[in-house]
Amino acid sequence: MLGATLSRWTMSYFAAALVCLVAGLILTASGFGYPSTAIEAPESLVVIHLFAIGWLGLLFAGSLLQFVPVLVSRPLEMPHLSLPVLLLTITGLGLLLAGFLGLAGILPLWSWVLPLGGAVLALAFAGLLWMVTRTLATARPMPLPAKFVALGCAALVGVAASGLLLTLPLSGLTANQYLVGLLLEAAPSHAYLGLVGWMTITAIGVSYRLLTMFLLSPERPRMTSRAVGWLMAVGLAMVAFGTVLAGAGTSPTATIYVATAFGGIAVLIYGLDVHLIFRERKRKSAEMNVLASLAAVAMLIACFALFGASTMSDLPIDLARPAAYLFVFGWLTGLGLGQLYKIVAFMTWLECYGPVLGRAAVPRVQELVNERRSSTWFLLYFGATVAATVALIADTPAMFRWLALAQLAAVCALAFEFTQARRLAIVPQAVRLPKGAIHPRLFLPSFKGSSQ
Amino acid sequence: MLDPLEQQDITEKARQQLSTIIDPEIGRSIVEMGLIYLVEIDFEGNVSIIMTTTTKGCPAAGFLTEAVKACLACVPGVRNVDVTLTYEPVWRPEMMEA
Repeated sequence: MLGATLSRWTMSYFAAALVCLVAGLILTASGFGYPSTAIEAPESLVVIHLFAIGWLGLLFAGSLLQFVPVLVSRPLEMPHLSLPVLLLTITGLGLLLAGFLGLAGILPLWSWVLPLGGAVLALAFAGLLWMVTRTLATARPMPLPAKFVALGCAALVGVAASGLLLTLPLSGLTANQYLVGLLLEAAPSHAYLGLVGWMTITAIGVSYRLLTMFLLSPERPRMTSRAVGWLMAVGLAMVAFGTVLAGAGTSPTATIYVATAFGGIAVLIYGLDVHLIFRERKRKSAEMNVLASLAAVAMLIACFALFGASTMSDLPIDLARPAAYLFVFGWLTGLGLGQLYKIVAFMTWLECYGPVLGRAAVPRVQELVNERRSSTWFLLYFGATVAATVALIADTPAMFRWLALAQLAAVCALAFEFTQARRLAIVPQAVRLPKGAIHPRLFLPSFKGSSQ
Repeated sequence: MLDPLEQQDITEKARQQLSTIIDPEIGRSIVEMGLIYLVEIDFEGNVSIIMTTTTKGCPAAGFLTEAVKACLACVPGVRNVDVTLTYEPVWRPEMMEA
């Protein structure tokens, strides 16, 4: 049969990701890590990796397992690796965080913990890449969104490899001159490879398909979309080159600046593409997931404007870190929460009502969610994120912590909405559980049926 | 053996029955959405359906084809139902009924 299947473990990835997001926001609101401590301090590294790997990494991995098959109209290859990859990611992240906590003097310091965590994470990402790239390889010709995902995979190799290498000198296991040089210079490149290279390029590619799918907009090959891919690829190559040179003591700052300029042009063109997709839509009412995505794209463009402004050396304020903050929470997290809102309901519908479609009356996907209530939480989230970015620019850490608390409240409320969708709590009673339908489990897979 | 009038009658009933299946995302019937490309019945009551989904690789595709089979199986006069999923031509939003 042509087509994709339901990814069996994706909901578990999402649940683990949300736990990490909530944990990270609790730490931030309580004054642990950046901006209460320096961004390179071990406490900050705990929080940063909890967000980057725990929240965003698991969110993207779980989404890829579900949507790469949709992009190429083929079932996922090696789906039985999904659970080991999830467990390895959680284990690797736990070890990495334990290593950082050791450096902070909060846990006993064992020098082998950080490299072991890096190695376990590299193994987890290798498993993910194996599933994704083998599935992509079955598509001939490869559609444009899939090419973006393939480019993102190349960046994931870079971020996993650089991350593993960074753990060696950081843990004190080696004083190798090249690796120490890498530690001193390559952290921004490592972050670029992960947040821009892997996640942003993948999100842009997948959004070309999902936005047209959910808005009933024509999916047409555009020169502009290809230009976005090429600009991102050139930027990525430059940062990878800069990372390699960083070990030899050459600062990669110039390559990051140039790559950011390329990225800035790319996101402007991407914004134009999103505008065209939205304008040509057949479905006139835009749902919450689309509105949240549009807000996230606006923040992405704002991030690059802030990054651009931060390169002006005579500015009395720090704009680069607030821009990075807005990038993680306005763009990636905003987009992630917006898409989760739709994906959780959509997958729950497929799992529960798909098998009885045509045999019984079933609700629409939209009837699994409470759009009005959720819009309040999204408004709170995006408002708090923008205000928190301003608080960082204004260097008012106390205000920032209150705003992080508001973000935490919004995320907890949204997580509650997701569980309501999983529990079918909002579905009208008459169609809630038709004969033959199986109530889905909260975040573990149902072991019946044909889903992978 | 079905005569042409009976074939036409069953085809009409089949279309009506298919109208009860909704596209889960849009909430409109798959007939209104233009997802059913062909409904054909032979003189023995075997129905052939050619249909599509709004997106190639749609995770709901398998459920939609199974739903079409299950829903047509209860139409009087229908013996077997054969459903073919195609993306030639690719579905476009203009194919929806106004």
